[in-house]
Amino acid sequence: MKKYLLYIVPGLLMHISVSAQVPLLNSYSPATATVYLDFDGATVDGTIWNENGKIIAEASRLSPASITWIHKMVSDHFKLFNLNITTDPAVYERAPVHQRTRIIITTEGSWYGAVAGVSAIGSFVWGDDTPAWVFMHSLSDNPSFIAACATHQIGHTLGLQHQSLYDSYGIMITELSGGENNIFSNQAPLMGIPFYKQADWKDGHPSTGAGYLQSDTAVIAGAPNNIGYRKATSEADTPEKAVIVERQGPGSLELNSSGNYSFRLFDISGRLLTQGNLKTGYNEIRTSPASTGILVLQWSGEFVSGSQKIIN
Amino acid sequence: MNTLKTILSSACLLLNLVLSAQKKDSSADLPYSNKIEVSNETLEALFHSPENISMDLAPGFHLAGRLQNKSDHGTTVTSLLIKLDSKPGGTLTLSRYTDAKGNIYYAGHLLKLHEQDGLILIEKDQHYYFIETQQRFLVAE
Repeated sequence: MKKYLLYIVPGLLMHISVSAQVPLLNSYSPATATVYLDFDGATVDGTIWNENGKIIAEASRLSPASITWIHKMVSDHFKLFNLNITTDPAVYERAPVHQRTRIIITTEGSWYGAVAGVSAIGSFVWGDDTPAWVFMHSLSDNPSFIAACATHQIGHTLGLQHQSLYDSYGIMITELSGGENNIFSNQAPLMGIPFYKQADWKDGHPSTGAGYLQSDTAVIAGAPNNIGYRKATSEADTPEKAVIVERQGPGSLELNSSGNYSFRLFDISGRLLTQGNLKTGYNEIRTSPASTGILVLQWSGEFVSGSQKIIN
Repeated sequence: MNTLKTILSSACLLLNLVLSAQKKDSSADLPYSNKIEVSNETLEALFHSPENISMDLAPGFHLAGRLQNKSDHGTTVTSLLIKLDSKPGGTLTLSRYTDAKGNIYYAGHLLKLHEQDGLILIEKDQHYYFIETQQRFLVAE
């Protein structure tokens, strides 16, 4: 019996630690409009997705480093807008019901079909907590693809249609623009195929027809979402400038912080190395001298949070 | 004579344009061929229906099904999910929102995933209509 316990207990502990390690991140806490990236599994009922009863979505089992990376990529896509991208369920619960959506990032979506994700257009303002979906296995479990797909699905919930490509007669060539070869451009719309090129929001012709023009940013910011654009912040408040690594070496990191933040430091496998608080100004974080390679530092304050990779 | 004809035609055209511009939007202007008006009372009745539902939402538009889920979202929104017998495999989702002044609004969809068309409930001039539309404009991948 003891022999079995030796296997079962560590297994259980590992499972609990995996579930408990979804880092709580917010891209822009002053915003009330909220998108919740849900990585730890969900049971969904009562929505348009529930034709065949309850859906039980598995947890993503992504490492904290991957979750932090995905959160950062999605947050970057929405940095223009007065919108908070969170991984904290409590923040989602506090958001107004007509200005929130949940993106369930789960392993697979066989209940729907062989797609990378699915969402209901405009559901951000429905008020009934209809979630959108990202199916990781269809994206090779690649964090960058998962982030691009999450942004694409969030775009749909905010009312965006696909950005499409039409010929000069207005005939649709492809519903999802961005996959075509173009020797003059290496850019793709986030509402097209955003995986293989530099992707961004676009003003273009949507899938509803060549006669229409869809300005992605105007749709996101405007009615009925009523999100608006983010107020300009001082340079020190931007995630890129708030915490700067001044010096690094085996066993220590020296940082300059623009404010008081809590921080966590992970190694590339997602193992928590240390955590604590940063005060304004000079800070030193002590780690094991063996903690080398790629580390991920995430930090969070009242109004801003962010993360960065450190090669140590 | 030709000049007079031209002047009269131009005047008629101008008058027509002015009248068109002044015309107020009416429900008949909704740019959809298939629209079914549903009264507020009928929509509200769905929120008080028993588990098994069989009622006419509008003349010629019968709804039969079973209440699969009823849920509250915050303090202002209640949602229903009705599994339909009258459209096997399909569902009706209906939400009721009460604003701070006590005004009530409804929103909903009647669809079966992966089918070409679906119905969306929209409000215009305080009337509600189920509008038939392509499902790819409601659900996207």
